[in-house]
Amino acid sequence: MKHSMMTKLITGLFCTLLSLPAIAQEDELKDLPGYVDFGDLSALYGEPKIIINLGGTMLSFVSMMSSSESPETADMISKLKGVRVQIFETDSNTDASKAQFSKVKGNLKSTGWEPIVQVNEDDEQVLVYMKMQDGNMEGMTVMVVDEEEAVFVNVIGQLNPAELGQVMNSLDVDLELDLDP
Amino acid sequence: MKKYDEKWEDRINALLDGELSDTDAEALKSEASDDRLLARAIIEAYQLQQAMDAVHVERAPASLRKRLNAVPREQNAESRTGFTPRLFQPRWVMALVAVPLAIIAVNLMQPDTPSTAEIAKAPQDLAIAFAYLDRAGSITGREIESNVGHTMADAISGSVNRTIKFSNEHSKEKEV
Repeated sequence: MKHSMMTKLITGLFCTLLSLPAIAQEDELKDLPGYVDFGDLSALYGEPKIIINLGGTMLSFVSMMSSSESPETADMISKLKGVRVQIFETDSNTDASKAQFSKVKGNLKSTGWEPIVQVNEDDEQVLVYMKMQDGNMEGMTVMVVDEEEAVFVNVIGQLNPAELGQVMNSLDVDLELDLDP
Repeated sequence: MKKYDEKWEDRINALLDGELSDTDAEALKSEASDDRLLARAIIEAYQLQQAMDAVHVERAPASLRKRLNAVPREQNAESRTGFTPRLFQPRWVMALVAVPLAIIAVNLMQPDTPSTAEIAKAPQDLAIAFAYLDRAGSITGREIESNVGHTMADAISGSVNRTIKFSNEHSKEKEV
């Protein structure tokens, strides 16, 4: 019995230690002023359909790789400190997502985020918020919920939306996503 | 050489303890008269024996003797109740935990270098993120257009873009 407890203790400790790098990376982004805590919808919708976490190191690599082909793209990416995306399939059950929207919106307002765009339709909600600090853009967050999915995007760092199209073209990636609004 | 020394030692100890027969004792003394090293070894052993005899032996305190006497009993009691593998003794458990902890701590302190596969996938992830940002912009434009008309939509969405652009330009100016 004593040995069994000891074995469980050691196993638990090893599992905790193995998850430390992921926790450390998440903590690194959490300290940035442009970070947004979206909460956890996985209990209701299951694991996210898409989950993306690009930290500063990875973005530096992408910026470096793009520099020869498109210096403008490299310059834009170099101003980003982190990009996070969480997408859940809602299967027409949008109540939980809308409730999470309200919760996140409340947190954003209380932490100095400014609303840029807000669309409230019965079947669709869109929120765009921006965080400014000392005249510098620290982050942008976009939340979209409709009958099919709930989308949470958090860009940490400086981003000019007018340059998005140019950057997407220069990244030269074929996306198989149904993004028709 | 070593075996020779050990053989000497056994014989010298036996001589000093009075355990050698008269014949063997005479033989050893005879050898010592011809061998300076053996003679010296006998003298040193004798001096050591004299010194040990001169040391005052003090009886250990009762509490210490009691604890020392209890050690074998505790070990016997443990062996009767069950066998404890050495690996499950607290000190070994701590050692087993400390080693991987140290390795992981060292790894965590290393710069986080992404793998080639992760770097190759990163542009696609970034494009997906931007595609969703673009989608939000399209929804916004469409809503504005359907509610206030095309002209106003351009004016409002343009204003939003200008606001964001101004923020970026303002940031650039500050950097300069």
